[in-house]
Amino acid sequence: MEDEIHPLLHPAASPSGASFTALLGLPPSRAVELLHEPTFPSDPALVDRAARFSVFAAASSAPSPEVSPPPPPELAKKRKDAGSGNGKAKIKKGKPAEEDTDGENKLPYVHVRARRGQATDSHSLAERARREKINARMKLLQELVPGCSKISGTALVLDEIINHVQYLQRQVEYLSMRLAAVNPRIDFSGLDNFITSTTTECGRLTIGNTKVGTELDPQQQQAAWSEVGVSDANQMNNSATSSKRTQSQLPQNQLQQFWHVDLLNAQNHLQPSIWAQDDVAGSTVPLLVFDRVNPGFGIFVLSLCPKLSSGFPIGTIVLVPLLEFLSHCGRC
Amino acid sequence: MASIPSSSSSPSPSQPKARKKPGQTTSPPPPPQTKWRTGTQERLYSRRLVDALQATRDRAQPPESVGSRAVKEAADSALAMTARGQSRWSRAILFNRNSCRKRVLVKAGGKIRRHRRKHQAIPPAMEGAGATSGVLKERKVKERLKKLGRIVPGCKKLPAATLLEEAADYVAALEMQVRTMRVLAEALSAAAVSVPEEEEMEIAEQGS
Repeated sequence: MEDEIHPLLHPAASPSGASFTALLGLPPSRAVELLHEPTFPSDPALVDRAARFSVFAAASSAPSPEVSPPPPPELAKKRKDAGSGNGKAKIKKGKPAEEDTDGENKLPYVHVRARRGQATDSHSLAERARREKINARMKLLQELVPGCSKISGTALVLDEIINHVQYLQRQVEYLSMRLAAVNPRIDFSGLDNFITSTTTECGRLTIGNTKVGTELDPQQQQAAWSEVGVSDANQMNNSATSSKRTQSQLPQNQLQQFWHVDLLNAQNHLQPSIWAQDDVAGSTVPLLVFDRVNPGFGIFVLSLCPKLSSGFPIGTIVLVPLLEFLSHCGRC
Repeated sequence: MASIPSSSSSPSPSQPKARKKPGQTTSPPPPPQTKWRTGTQERLYSRRLVDALQATRDRAQPPESVGSRAVKEAADSALAMTARGQSRWSRAILFNRNSCRKRVLVKAGGKIRRHRRKHQAIPPAMEGAGATSGVLKERKVKERLKKLGRIVPGCKKLPAATLLEEAADYVAALEMQVRTMRVLAEALSAAAVSVPEEEEMEIAEQGS
């Protein structure tokens, strides 16, 4: 293979023996320059000639003279043809191999840099491109799997990857078993807001002063609702007891679910100011309490005293899903 | 009525890249690490997971509790849906849920080979031939690749490059799934645990 290369590298060599240079129709020196050129040839004539000799899928980028390395270059297709006579030379040097793998996703052709001392025939180039593709993906996987960067050797790395995938799958099975065990006691309606808030951070909070009565059905106001987490323990207990007392409509588990689900975060994050705004003073009050950090959370309504009329002005935050839940609970 | 902008309304940073812009070639999809780690994906998935769990519970006969396998299947389907069918494994998961696995695998003769006898027979027979270390290593690598292909759903007969790509995406997705499920399970079990405590508190309050 070295013998093939030397004529190419030596400017004095005749172009007749090397199909490579003949393809491009250039003097050997120019061809060598192409070989080693780190950047995409910006010479329009060169580009045009190259365009004739290699197969390009993205014709858009081929004719443009101001093609520069950053935009995806045309990728020369690796053909396993034995005949290298025609313009199937993938000798479109331009970019290092790593960018080829990125560019591959856009265009079907691959640019490969033919390094010094390596064969430039179609087979080895194709193989080299394929190998580099695989190695790039392998590196990506190695980064993903913890502890794989230190390991050298494809087989061992693959071993690690397989073990990691099996470990993750086992974790999923274990967690699904836990979820199945926990499931019967929890009702999911309206839980999704809780979930979104626990997994992500919510920064914003919009509070408007609204009248509770206008939003809720008067009928629903009579219902006992599960309760929001409370900063004040007294209020919590009061509300709890009163909610239990008036609780005829609401099923027990739903009540508890919201209570406890909210309790988790409420003790951490609840804004006492919201409570301070309202004349709670130890009495049960219709409130939609909002939790600053977990907005999805706070939509729990305290048990409503039947005597409280509609039109109680409070700072509230109402979420649409809450209304859905409210309407749902009102019916049950 | 004041409302909070729903978190799910924010566009995912990874989604615009996947859409084709007119007149341009498609931009490369984001690498799996960044794609599956965004908060939006987690929110999407957690929402889907909760919905799926609820559906599973409703579908299962009310008196009996949900089986863990049903939960796992629901979680995997939710994960595949969150992947939007862009990866092979997600498509394989979704399609294999609908139709029974055996139906998918029926070959021309209608016979399904369950035991991989052929695979197990070959390695012992080839031990004599694989003298060179290079060949041996290649065989090892090939074996491992095949094993990986069996583990990742829907990647049995893929070439190495595609398989590795799918595997990377699958690993990233699995990590997100484990993270989310763990948060959910812990939250729910914490909520469930505190139920008896609250009842006791209330009883004590009423009594005092």
